[in-house]
Amino acid sequence: MTSKMGTLQRHLRGAFQRSIGIVLSILAGVFVGSLIMIWYKQNPVEIYTLLLKGAVGSQRSIFIAMQRATPLIFTAIASTIAFRTGVFNIGVEGQFFIGAICGTFVGYAFALPTIIHLPLTLLAGFLGGAAWAYFPTIMRQKLGISEIITTIMTNYIATHLISYLTNYPMRASPTTTETPPVQATTRLPQFIELTRHWAKPLGKGTQAHFGIFIALAVVAIVYFIFKRTKLGYELRMVGISFPFSEFGGIHLDRAFIGGMLISGGIAGLGGIVEILGVWREYKNLFATGFGFRGNLASLLGRQSVIGSLVAALFYGAMEAGALGLEWAAGIPRQLIDIVIGLIIFFMAAEGMWDFVKRIKWVRAPEAARKSTQELEV
Amino acid sequence: MDTTVLLDILQRYVFNVANLQGMLRLSTPIVLAGLCALITSRAGILNIAGEGMILFGAWFAVAGSYFAENALVGVAAAMLSGAVIGGLFALFSLRFRAHIIIMGIAINIFANAATIFLTRAVFKQAGAFAAPRIQGLNPIALPIIKDIPILGEVLSGYSLIVYLTWILVALTTLFLYRTPWGLHLRAVGENPQAAETLGINVPRIRFAAVMASGVYASLAGVYLSLGHLKMYTDQMAAGRGYIGMAVNTFGGGEPIGVFLASTLFGLVDTIGWRLQGERIMPVYFISMLPYVATLVALTVFTLRQQRAKRAALANNAEEE
Repeated sequence: MTSKMGTLQRHLRGAFQRSIGIVLSILAGVFVGSLIMIWYKQNPVEIYTLLLKGAVGSQRSIFIAMQRATPLIFTAIASTIAFRTGVFNIGVEGQFFIGAICGTFVGYAFALPTIIHLPLTLLAGFLGGAAWAYFPTIMRQKLGISEIITTIMTNYIATHLISYLTNYPMRASPTTTETPPVQATTRLPQFIELTRHWAKPLGKGTQAHFGIFIALAVVAIVYFIFKRTKLGYELRMVGISFPFSEFGGIHLDRAFIGGMLISGGIAGLGGIVEILGVWREYKNLFATGFGFRGNLASLLGRQSVIGSLVAALFYGAMEAGALGLEWAAGIPRQLIDIVIGLIIFFMAAEGMWDFVKRIKWVRAPEAARKSTQELEV
Repeated sequence: MDTTVLLDILQRYVFNVANLQGMLRLSTPIVLAGLCALITSRAGILNIAGEGMILFGAWFAVAGSYFAENALVGVAAAMLSGAVIGGLFALFSLRFRAHIIIMGIAINIFANAATIFLTRAVFKQAGAFAAPRIQGLNPIALPIIKDIPILGEVLSGYSLIVYLTWILVALTTLFLYRTPWGLHLRAVGENPQAAETLGINVPRIRFAAVMASGVYASLAGVYLSLGHLKMYTDQMAAGRGYIGMAVNTFGGGEPIGVFLASTLFGLVDTIGWRLQGERIMPVYFISMLPYVATLVALTVFTLRQQRAKRAALANNAEEE
């Protein structure tokens, strides 16, 4: 009994230690955000209330938040896997787009029954993203070239390549720069489409779609891989210490390359899910910034799988709130990106909260503090 | 293809005055973004916040010029903003141990939102801001050079920032290789531990490098908003911060290399515009070229380095 209590206390303390920095950062971000709002001659209390209402205040806003969060869950998980293997995958942005365009092609070019077509389209998205991650991964693995520079390059190559594809071979008609729509057999249903005839339709006025379930499934699978499989163990070990894991007999190449390819694949999957659920055809540069926001959400979630999920949902809710704010009160929705940016600044700046760690009860164990700080630049 | 056709193509798409002028104009902000990346990378810091710093520079240049009705005040305001953002970036990432890449991404997203917000809050405009009160940087004709037949046309008649950029390329080279501070900076970049044992204040050098990178980037912003058009447009940095990292890598971390690589990017841009106008071939592959070239250059460079290292090791073994 006593030992159980001890474990519980330890768990609670651990959770508290992990979240204290996040809570303080959010408070600091919200506070500085308030100062900006006062300068903008607005009442911060009113604005934050409106923001919360826009984020979770009604059924509609919850569905908007869900729609905004869906792609972020994929990109955040993709970033987290890369982080865990010790690399910084800025290429999530490009992998997201390449996955989307590959999947779109399979989506419109073939006519198959849903049971085959949908998985095939998703697979194409996954493979596209993974393929796009392959080259930077090999350059890092074989030549030791920083993946940050190479993934920035591949992001741009992706952008231009896709502009070409949507303007020439995959163009639907001379007047647009879009691909043909994907077949009905491979669309992910939106909640409103399925429940239109209900007495109380779900997600009215939103494009929230079933992609959220795929996102949650990915989270569950990745969580399982990390916790329960040999590959997950190897990935974590590679991320923690390269020399040590080699000594321990882990195939570095396999674990590292595998981790990066899965990361790219999940980013690509996010891209095609966004197409199948929301857009149904590839509009050139349909949604920029999900990759970078995913990187940030992963950080907000302390690079843990569940943390990334929570952070992506939080980010999505904030974006929904910001949209609501703009509609309701004409406040620029960028105000929220500013506040989130501030929160990230405060959160990333671990040294800023050193004074908190000096308080005995919250003092974190040495090892935990090292997490990402030692990542090579 | 025989030579006359080749010459004809070269003249049409590369060696004519309009193209060369376009090349130098388009390369200017890229050179500055490249120097921004260079000064930090030579101090051993990977600074990806150039994009955000350029945006702030562009915004404050327009704001300064608008309120003071003087372009130079705009330039000063932008440079100040660059130093401040650079200082904050350095404070958070060096002093408070924020992860430098995360901090960079956060600054870029923050700058994007903040400039859009500021345009709406201060100028009550959305998307873009132009006003007659904004003073631009006028073209300057260089005294003697302007009278040289073709060369004069190519080299003269740009705004202040273009000339300043050329001077900065030279000054940065001098700084790196001819001053003690430059020596310290390179030492910090190559081997921080060794530099520290020599009594060099590593954090201070890095702090200064990041602040300087902010000033370089802000000048790129000034060129975008006041150098040519006298207006501010949301997201007008358009990836130049990242392209700056590409030219720095492609140029081998040398100022002159950055300049040449940027000129290549500028040339590709002009050719791209040209081809698009004439509808000869999709412009996208040409736009892709510099990035592919950077990857190839990086690969070749690293392979050669590795081979040299291996050869050196083999030699040592033989001698022993």
